[in-house]
Amino acid sequence: MRFSGLVENEILKFSRQRRFRVVVLILVALIGLIVFAQSRGRERFLGGKDWHVETQERMARIQNWLRDGRMPESSQRWARFELDRLRYHLDRDINPEAVSGPLFARGFANAASYLLLPLLAIVFASDVVSAEFAQGTIKLLLTRPVGRARVLASKLAALVLAITLTVVFGGAVAYLFGGIAYGYGGWAAPVLTGFRVAGERLDPAAVRSIALWQDLILAYGLAWFAALCVGAIALLTSVLLRSTAAAMGTMLAALIAGTILPRLAPSWEAQKFLFVTNLPLPDYYSGSPPPITGLTVGFGAAVLAAWAVAALAAAFAVFVRRDVLA
Amino acid sequence: MSGSEGAEIVLSAEHLTKRFGEREAVSDVSFDVHAGEVFGFLGPNGAGKTTTIRMLVGLARPDRGRVRIRGLDLSREFRRAMGHVGCIVEAPDLYKYLTGRENLVHFSRMLPDGAAARIPELARLVALSERLDDKVSTYSLGMRQRLGIAQALLGNPDILILDEPANGLDPAGIREIRQLVRHLADERGIAVFVSSHLLSEVEQTCDRVAIIHRGRTLATGPVRELVDRVASDRLRFDARPARLAAEVLAAFGPAETEAGEGEGAVHAKISKERVPDALRALTAAGVDVFAVERSLASLEEVFLEVTGGETV
Repeated sequence: MRFSGLVENEILKFSRQRRFRVVVLILVALIGLIVFAQSRGRERFLGGKDWHVETQERMARIQNWLRDGRMPESSQRWARFELDRLRYHLDRDINPEAVSGPLFARGFANAASYLLLPLLAIVFASDVVSAEFAQGTIKLLLTRPVGRARVLASKLAALVLAITLTVVFGGAVAYLFGGIAYGYGGWAAPVLTGFRVAGERLDPAAVRSIALWQDLILAYGLAWFAALCVGAIALLTSVLLRSTAAAMGTMLAALIAGTILPRLAPSWEAQKFLFVTNLPLPDYYSGSPPPITGLTVGFGAAVLAAWAVAALAAAFAVFVRRDVLA
Repeated sequence: MSGSEGAEIVLSAEHLTKRFGEREAVSDVSFDVHAGEVFGFLGPNGAGKTTTIRMLVGLARPDRGRVRIRGLDLSREFRRAMGHVGCIVEAPDLYKYLTGRENLVHFSRMLPDGAAARIPELARLVALSERLDDKVSTYSLGMRQRLGIAQALLGNPDILILDEPANGLDPAGIREIRQLVRHLADERGIAVFVSSHLLSEVEQTCDRVAIIHRGRTLATGPVRELVDRVASDRLRFDARPARLAAEVLAAFGPAETEAGEGEGAVHAKISKERVPDALRALTAAGVDVFAVERSLASLEEVFLEVTGGETV
């Protein structure tokens, strides 16, 4: 009775349930719709003007400002980056304002980390233990010569795998569909990173430029991490509530509350310790102003990790000890 | 009746007690199950049978007492102890969206290597070979019950614990399970623990029985012995006219004509030594006696006797 066999069991059960196919369909349909809608909107917006001319004009303007010397140091850094970015695109005959397949995938990571990926993680995780209770199979699962902690660990491993696949699949579909509309090139395009928010302003001191593919890995890594943490918390609700519907409802309520709370009560600073507030890690990392002051990638990741570890500890403690009577 | 006396004790419950809040669902329940015997656990619904079984298989922790499986303390050596156990608790709940074979493969992965190799043989034993690659959702209850037993046998257990295996089955299905259980005990020497609220079921399948009522065991012993306790003085007279016979026999003990069948039969409770006198009295009264037989009490009567007539 190797551990891999137990994980294999969990994967078998995952793959045979309709949920997996539904998630795949949701991702494909949703991303397809976004690409379609966006590309329609852009066509109308850009009109007929030649972007080569437009880009050269912009570069000339920026060079003038730099020569001027009256620009503050911080802005100069940003201006030089922008110049590099425009030159990169012009050299390769790529419209800098155009969205590329990889860039679309990057945008998807930001957007999906708020709600979609956590939601899918919840769909998977809230079922993991409660389904066994609902089917009555928990009585067989826990009367085999395998410790309860091992059973739950195998479920956790399968859950991690399912969430990982979902994030990778989501990214791949976003790239593929984005590529249809915007082309598949542009992996090496420079991206600005390292913004820090200082008070009401962006602090560009640590800003540097990395290639888009590096940025993509980071963004998806962060989205993946956030989804995993949500999965861990959903696993706890599944263990505690023993009902899929109740577990999913609870997690959904938390998720929705987390997205509206910063808007309704932005001055309540303690909410930065809630896990839902910290889900958009890729966003915090790319430097868009956070909803609550004091939120950074590092802080957010730490809060999420703390929640996940606590949830897992509680889930294991309860699962191992509690009587199975239902 | 198999010679269970002296056989190795495979499962023993020692003073099991389980409380739910104020209510004691199981109080001080003790019994031993020996190798090669079918042990009946008899009681009405709600008597504490399933709660006891949950403690036997480690799903619930007893508040007091302990379970030993082949001498291993279940709460301390869960994994080693459960390696000897196959069970179905409450209902044969398996993964309906998987096939029978996938279910067996699934549970074989939770056992030491080699369990999967037994799948074809077990499928034959429970007569499921032909439907093994169909989804369990298409199985009848009887087939699920048999698949559940195959699953329970995967680990080559020394003890098989079956919770109400006859529940919801048709007579043919009940007979199949009964034969299977007897086969496992008689031919393979497996100890089988069967819970039931059906007295006839236990009477026909089991060697020994424990009767549980309101969380307490009222009696434990060989099925025959318990039956004999109330059967020894119960007689059935095939006599005519029946009404006259009943009147005569009333002098020797409680007697009544058999309900429904009309002519001929009288049931009477008469102690052994007074039977010749009763027969003489019948003849003297002009009653024709065609046969006298000892009527075997069903466990229903045993049950009424030991529970003091409380509602079953």
